Amino acid sequence: MPAPSDPVRTLIDELIESQRRLDTPVARFAAAHTAADNTATAHGSRAGLGAQLIPLSAPGPGEQYAFQVDLDSCTGCKACVSGCHSLNGLDDEETWRDVGLVYANDSLATLAGIAGLQRDNRASERNAEAQLGSAACAAPFAQTVTTACHHCEDPACLNGCPVVAYEKDPITGIVVHLDDQCIGCSYCVLKCPYDVPKFNERLGIVRKCDMCHGRLAAGEAPACAQACPTEAISIVTVAVTIDQIPKSKAPIPGHKSQSPNPALTALSGTDSAYTRPTTRYVSKKPLPANLVAADSQTLRPQHPHYALVVLLVLTQLGLGLLVSTQLSAPNSQLLAPSSQLLSLFGLGLYGTGLLASIAHLGQPLRAWRIFLGLRTSWLSREAVLLGAAFPLLSAILLRSDLAQSLLAKFAPPLPSSLQQALHLAPVGGILLAGLGVFCSAMIYTDTRRQFWRLSQTLGRMGGTVAIAALIPISAPLAAVTLVAKLALELNTLRGDSPSARLQRSLLSPLVAARLIIASLLLPTLFVAPAGVTVVLFGIGELLERTLFFRAVDSPKMPGVPAS
Amino acid sequence: MPTLSSLRASFDSALLKLHARTGPMTSELVRHPAAHGLGVPQLPSRLTPTTTTRSVCGFCSTGCSLTVHRDASGQAINLSPDPVYPVNLGMACPKGWEALTPLAASDRLKTPLLRNTATGQLEPVSWDVALAAFVKNFKAIQAAHGPHSLSFLSTGQIVMEEMALLGALAKFGMGMLHIDSNTRQCMATSHVAYKQSFGFDAPPFTYADFEESDALIFIGANPCIAHPIMWQRVMMNKNSPEIIVVDPRRTETAIAGTLHVPLLPKSDLTLLYGLAHLLIERGAVKQEFIDAHTRNFAEFAAFVKKFTPAHVAAATGLPVATLERIVEIIATKQRVSFWWTMGVNQGHESTRTAQAIINLALMTGNIGRPGTGANSITGQCNAMGSRLFGNASSLLGGYDFANAEHRAHVAGVLGINPAVIPSGKSWAYDQIIDGIDTGAIKGLWVIATNTAHSWINQKRFPELRSKLDFLVVQDMYGTTETAQMADLVLPAAGWGEKDGVFINSERRLGVARKVSRAPGLALADFAIFKLVAEAWGCGELFRRWESPEATFRLLRELSRGQPCEFTGIEGYDHIQNECGIQWPYLATGAETPNPKSQTPKSPSTQRRLFADGKFYTADQRAIFLFDEPRPMPELPDAAYPFLLNTGRGSSAQWHTGSRTNKSDVLRKLAPTSLYVEISPADAARLGISANAAVTVSSRRGEAAAFAVITATLQSGQLFMPMHFDAVNRLTFPAFDPHSRQPSYKACAVRIALA
Repeated sequence: MPAPSDPVRTLIDELIESQRRLDTPVARFAAAHTAADNTATAHGSRAGLGAQLIPLSAPGPGEQYAFQVDLDSCTGCKACVSGCHSLNGLDDEETWRDVGLVYANDSLATLAGIAGLQRDNRASERNAEAQLGSAACAAPFAQTVTTACHHCEDPACLNGCPVVAYEKDPITGIVVHLDDQCIGCSYCVLKCPYDVPKFNERLGIVRKCDMCHGRLAAGEAPACAQACPTEAISIVTVAVTIDQIPKSKAPIPGHKSQSPNPALTALSGTDSAYTRPTTRYVSKKPLPANLVAADSQTLRPQHPHYALVVLLVLTQLGLGLLVSTQLSAPNSQLLAPSSQLLSLFGLGLYGTGLLASIAHLGQPLRAWRIFLGLRTSWLSREAVLLGAAFPLLSAILLRSDLAQSLLAKFAPPLPSSLQQALHLAPVGGILLAGLGVFCSAMIYTDTRRQFWRLSQTLGRMGGTVAIAALIPISAPLAAVTLVAKLALELNTLRGDSPSARLQRSLLSPLVAARLIIASLLLPTLFVAPAGVTVVLFGIGELLERTLFFRAVDSPKMPGVPAS
Repeated sequence: MPTLSSLRASFDSALLKLHARTGPMTSELVRHPAAHGLGVPQLPSRLTPTTTTRSVCGFCSTGCSLTVHRDASGQAINLSPDPVYPVNLGMACPKGWEALTPLAASDRLKTPLLRNTATGQLEPVSWDVALAAFVKNFKAIQAAHGPHSLSFLSTGQIVMEEMALLGALAKFGMGMLHIDSNTRQCMATSHVAYKQSFGFDAPPFTYADFEESDALIFIGANPCIAHPIMWQRVMMNKNSPEIIVVDPRRTETAIAGTLHVPLLPKSDLTLLYGLAHLLIERGAVKQEFIDAHTRNFAEFAAFVKKFTPAHVAAATGLPVATLERIVEIIATKQRVSFWWTMGVNQGHESTRTAQAIINLALMTGNIGRPGTGANSITGQCNAMGSRLFGNASSLLGGYDFANAEHRAHVAGVLGINPAVIPSGKSWAYDQIIDGIDTGAIKGLWVIATNTAHSWINQKRFPELRSKLDFLVVQDMYGTTETAQMADLVLPAAGWGEKDGVFINSERRLGVARKVSRAPGLALADFAIFKLVAEAWGCGELFRRWESPEATFRLLRELSRGQPCEFTGIEGYDHIQNECGIQWPYLATGAETPNPKSQTPKSPSTQRRLFADGKFYTADQRAIFLFDEPRPMPELPDAAYPFLLNTGRGSSAQWHTGSRTNKSDVLRKLAPTSLYVEISPADAARLGISANAAVTVSSRRGEAAAFAVITATLQSGQLFMPMHFDAVNRLTFPAFDPHSRQPSYKACAVRIALA
């Protein structure tokens, strides 16, 4: 057996060296391209970057741009997703367009059905063609659905954003996200019923489709449209309906009679009256009734948002304890020693909760803008109210022995009006924080998710405050309230909703842990000191709130089958 | 003291900060027009190319051209579909768009790996150690068991020059006889069917035929997701064509077509004979063409007489009205094209089925004219190259190993001794696998394929592995199922890291270019074969094969006088400047050396064969070939009541997923775990709900999956995507007797809740 000879070794080095070398063939391929460009017309090329797929002029008054998807042309190649990804320079795992599948399985049509229909018509040859045609219409239905941002007339993302990081272009109607404005709170992710905005871990912000507005301005089609081999995606000008139809004040889940975009309502399962999405899904054939997304039965536990769990539970727990101390001695100048400790504990919890909210943000240094969205965003309102309440609540500490003695020693006597104001400050704080908790509840209810309906959000969050307030005052009342809150929570395990199924299956360990803590807590309420009870209660609430996030239903456009 | 204006300025900047419409994160995505003449869309500035290079995609046989965007160092940073290439006209499927991504995967092999016999682990070694182990072990096997005890299994995924060098090295340099590639799993049937019917493996069509037809008949083909860029051409057809889709499943293509023919699985041969019979009865045959250009029609006509509508309806599960409708369309339309792919090719009587399609085209004169043809849609990017230059079943350039004149001719062109060219016939893939079982094959070299995942009844392969004395795997990744079993793994450069030619479905030669640096010590397959040749001691035979392009010139010379002649091609740049060139292609003004060849003398972007009705057989006549249909070897029964069909799951997945699974985007576009499609009726009967965990089992193995309930499936049938390795634990090893292609699409299984 010959050992590798020197010539082989030399060849190895040569080949490795040559493998690493890349020519930079500027001249050669520039020439090639000129030749190619010259022959473009001869080949009947579709060059021109899809200019024929976009409107010739800007939208007029009462109009905006919209995606149009021709379902008959879309046959599931999914090039739109990767075209968008590559031409827009998105991160590896980032996609602004998604594709999915819908079936119409509960129709009576089956492949055997087609054959049966055809067989029946064997005798009557003349009818065969017409019957075949109609049989094909009733045949089993599967349709690929491609989705990007729907550039809604009334965008939920925009309305929910606490820092006004979304803008709807007044002429084109394109909903643009301002990446340098975004604080990374992800609220838009929860607000959008179509799962469009996506959080980018690398940047700590959300990004989303901007309809390639720069391309449109230059007469180039959006990346997805130019990537579609069958020209199924185009940009059209649509009439804006928002001014004509009164905006519904309350969500009417499942009520679709007023749907401004019935096809999209049918495909997504979300009533399009909510945000008035503009994407037009068109087909020459009517869409079958009762469309089912291929991933409709897929259970998707949602992000736990631990920082938000801590924020919500601790602010509410803290507020409850402060309410309790306030109630126990509404008028006294000095709190009882146990109350002093409890109020310090409550204030500490409250402050920690506020700090935790910062940890939730992808871009905490931009958080100072949080007040900008007050006009429409419950998140803005919550942040401002809970924040403003903190200094007022802190005034309760003035009623401690330590503060009183320090004041007596070092401070000049305060005018009585100021003293009175300081005495009332915690009450004001409690009122503000109470409103803040209401806003906390509304943040989630405003996403219109079934699991986060007002009875659940307010019941859970108000319940936390109430039970925390009652624990130091009355064990029986605290126990009754706790049982009522548990009943409210357990109610969501019933039925066939995604939240119920999630809690009964993938999240059942969390449900079990929550129930174990609650069953330990009930006897503890009557025997243990308030401090111990509060800690146990807090642990139970943290578990409950984790479930609150993990088990929420997550509306989205149809996806591919997933286990 | 701050001045008023500076106060105002800071107030303005505060306002700007209040609403930051610009900034680093915004500018990251702002798109800019590229330099004039590059022909690429607007791109974010970090992706603006310095230059671009045209390169043909390395996934499927469509042969799309991609404009690779390169930075100043020449490294590829992005790509977009080539807007002027006549194949794809500025379009690509998701795999094409993501073609560069798998190159950067974290599990790329960076060094050779040799299994340490003491620890049993694969350990990094240098190339000289790897080559020494290769030569020592393989030569020892040959010394003990004879030269034919070595074998290789390769691929349709590498460039033509590499296939030719590998085939020549193995057969002329290393003394192997039994070699094959994974093209056996996809295109062997078309190869054999054409060769027998037309006298040469010559798919006659050009993609413009998709646009020119007034009726397209797809049989066992789902181009909407398997070849979406071909489907683009169907959608560009201006004739409002009838689109008949013959498929047991209501696929994307079946839904998009005008008539779905949901026949029973593997009843296609009977259906096609039945159609032939009805067409003859109706008098819808072109007797003049048949008389002038074909052979054996009378025998065929007599044979199909017994395929009466009633018989065919019973065998296919189709109503007679459907048969009549298809016949009506074929008989009345002027330009009928027939297209088939894996649904036909992967069958137990696939060659005759493909030829039944060819027969329909021949008898109705639907060949040689625009918009017609019996057209096989190929699978892999270079299956067509492998069919001409793989050196497995036919000698380089479509010659015959058994013919001494052919051997002498090829040896003359290559400048080697004719005696080194074997005259014996190579075993096919399944026979090589059997050879391992019987002990005839003791050493195996697997190149750019993943046998342990993809081979039919694959459960057997790990068992066979232990019977091999030495297994070498040459791949981009050390993580494939097969590489994990190897004794020696050689790190290969992938598509985009080397130069060479692919031939697509419509016989178009296209060039793939080196636009990216291979990681570590990974080398182009071409370089690895050159190294092996030197280490083996047969480097002298391949002195003329000094580079891929030099090799291309050798192959060009080998094509001279053959139907596939492309001697008119000057070199890679010529191919690129012409946007690919279809064979046959002779130099302008050259004498046509072969009277059988219809080579045009000037380039044109769309060319088809047989316009003059002259075929490549000795008498220039196409032959009607047929056989009695046979039942599929494993029919569903009481114990295994379902018929399992397998195939492509989505446009985002390629075969065993060794590349496509490396792309985050592609992984999002398809289910990431194994699923099984079942009809609503069957699911209801078995109490299987959507997403339920189920077990699918056959007599050979079982697979865990989740249920997808869809009425696009007939009752009694299941479908599973081939991209998950468990699927081929179930499949039944049946093979077509002519092409020896495995029948992946029909085996008996049962399904139960897990």
